Amino acid sequence: MNVKRSTLSLYFIILITTSFGLMADSCSKKVKNNIATTPLQPDIPEGFPKPVYDFENNPLTEEGFALGRKLFYDGRLSIDGNFPCASCHQQFAAFSSYDHSFSHGFNNAFTTRNAPGLFNEAWQSAFHLDGGINNLEVQPLAPITAPNEMAESIENIIRKLNKDDVYRQMFRSAFGDDAITSQRMLKALAQFTVSLVSADSKYDRFKKGLLAFTPYEERGYALFKQKCATCHTEPLFTDGSFRNIGLPAVPGIDDLGRMKITGDPADSLKFKVPSLRNVNITVPYMHDGRFASLEACLQHYNNGVVKSATVDPLVADGIHLSNTEVVDMVAFLRTLTDTTLTKNPRFADPEHKAIFSPDRH
Amino acid sequence: MKKLVLWMVMAPVTGLCLSFMYSPSAVNHPSSKTGKLIISFRNSVDALPLELNKTYINSLQEPFKVTRLKYYISHIELDNTSAVITPDANYFLVNEEAPVSKTITVPFPAGSYHRITFLLGVDSLRNVSGAQSGALDPLNGMFWTWNSGYIMAKLEGRSPASSLPLQQFEFHIGGFQGRDNVLKKISLAFPGGKPFVLKAGKTLTIDINANIQKWFQGPRSISIATHPSCTTPGSLAKQIADNYAEMFSIVSVTD
Ligand code: HEC
Ligand code: HEC
Repeated sequence: MNVKRSTLSLYFIILITTSFGLMADSCSKKVKNNIATTPLQPDIPEGFPKPVYDFENNPLTEEGFALGRKLFYDGRLSIDGNFPCASCHQQFAAFSSYDHSFSHGFNNAFTTRNAPGLFNEAWQSAFHLDGGINNLEVQPLAPITAPNEMAESIENIIRKLNKDDVYRQMFRSAFGDDAITSQRMLKALAQFTVSLVSADSKYDRFKKGLLAFTPYEERGYALFKQKCATCHTEPLFTDGSFRNIGLPAVPGIDDLGRMKITGDPADSLKFKVPSLRNVNITVPYMHDGRFASLEACLQHYNNGVVKSATVDPLVADGIHLSNTEVVDMVAFLRTLTDTTLTKNPRFADPEHKAIFSPDRH
Repeated sequence: MKKLVLWMVMAPVTGLCLSFMYSPSAVNHPSSKTGKLIISFRNSVDALPLELNKTYINSLQEPFKVTRLKYYISHIELDNTSAVITPDANYFLVNEEAPVSKTITVPFPAGSYHRITFLLGVDSLRNVSGAQSGALDPLNGMFWTWNSGYIMAKLEGRSPASSLPLQQFEFHIGGFQGRDNVLKKISLAFPGGKPFVLKAGKTLTIDINANIQKWFQGPRSISIATHPSCTTPGSLAKQIADNYAEMFSIVSVTD
């Protein structure tokens, strides 16, 4: 019996080690150079359409996400260390630039557009207000290299990151070895930005039957479905199209929107329909931040639309709301604020450093 | 004990199943039926070999110097056969500043071939597929950051005919969708009308010349004086691409 038992255990040890060896060898997707990654499931809220982002090409992992999060908050991605992504995309403002029409960049320069909130990016098929960017992964190249934003070069960032043991370790954990490349950096950043999902506002809870709307909110929602939802389509509150809602170009900036990308005069003054999720905390509004309140936006739809060849027929004659309807509409728009996003510690600065001095947010 | 026996059977079975499930998808491995295809690019201005920073005259009588010349070559085929490489490795950036980049070496199925075909540029799919590596790494300075897409070919230089600061001229030619598409499929028949043979384990060398003069003079005349700069997709980029699509010719094929 004793002999039998030891032979048996030997058999087992060999068996188990060889089959594990085989597995480790062949599951190269999850185990690279004996470094295991922890797969993450994309967060796809109930009722949302199929994401546009190709998760198969960049499978989410705990390690990739952690690296992306660190990069997002790291000033070293900018030339002077002061302008991480998070300096313009602040969590408490649903990752927009709170209270700044144009965001501050390097050398006291301003961006020429208002930084939008970052959430539900997995459902966008074009990025930036003119849709010039066709994939979330390549988006960071724009702010990183723009002289009025982070003013840095990818070469130099890679050089800086290579000097940091923590980064080399994190690239290793996420990608199997410590080579720091632009592709890995961009994929990691995308893992973070694509994970910023907003689907837990009062509106979402109302839709799930978890709570009731006030009479104001209810009337506002009814009005919204009637007058706004063609463009600001639920559940994303954007249909992803480019439209001209009759905001005249500001002389000196002359931002022609979509036409800048397509060169087509038919696209003049068209901008991407923004999601209205979290709109109450992404003040100021419109591509150039020209309006400081939701009431001012509604005022524009009411009587500010400037007609031109490309103005959208849905707004050409204005969208008229009475004073009480404005109150109802604003009450509804405020139900779209998602504090689960703005307070989620997983999305916060991993080093909890105070990067926002009061005079520079 | 019964449980033990069950384990003894199940463990190897599970192990095997797992290893089959995760077996890496079949990658084309260069086999014994493979030779080596070497494509060697040389750039010229008409009959003169191109040297950076040397003055030449274009067909519109404008003196010019080239400071930078880069173009993408992808999807190389001989007749209808492709190289034995992964899709990711199918992109090459020929850069006049980096002599090694002017010779492309790829494993290729042995066979008898009449012509070479390749894409001058990066196919539309790769233009929308996010962060890339290798020749397609944005570090190579061939990716537009504000209007996503690859610059398919880039010619920069100086010319007294240019009205730009420092007498610069720059042609960054790109655009991959719809009417802005500048992708060019180049197809060159081997000289002499007879096939060339690539034997297993052997090489087939194709020397190709790219005549830069064609950027200025092809179906259209593009003068530096009128067009010192083209850095966005659109009709001018398409005209220049129509021109440079004619720049390639086969110098020799050696089997
Ligand atoms: C100096 C301020 C600034 C910095 C720094 C900055 N951004 Fe932005 N971001 C903006 C502005 C402004 C826009 C809108 C640009 C436009 O529409 O042309 C924007 C747009 C975006 C968008 C597109 C959102 C959409 O749905 O269209 C993403 C994604 C984004 N930024 C991510 C990042 C990341 C990641 C970083 C760091 C690598 C970063 N940003 C750094 C200001 C900034
Ligand atoms: C024709 C399509 C269309 C309709 C209809 C429409 N919008 Fe908009 N909306 C847009 C576009 C496009 C923008 C962005 C314009 C810009 O940035 O210049 C926008 C911007 C906004 C903004 C500013 C958001 C931000 O973050 O900057 C608010 C608020 C808004 N709309 C509310 C509404 C409401 C409420 C209604 C219904 C009364 C409505 N919209 C109807 C297309 C539309």
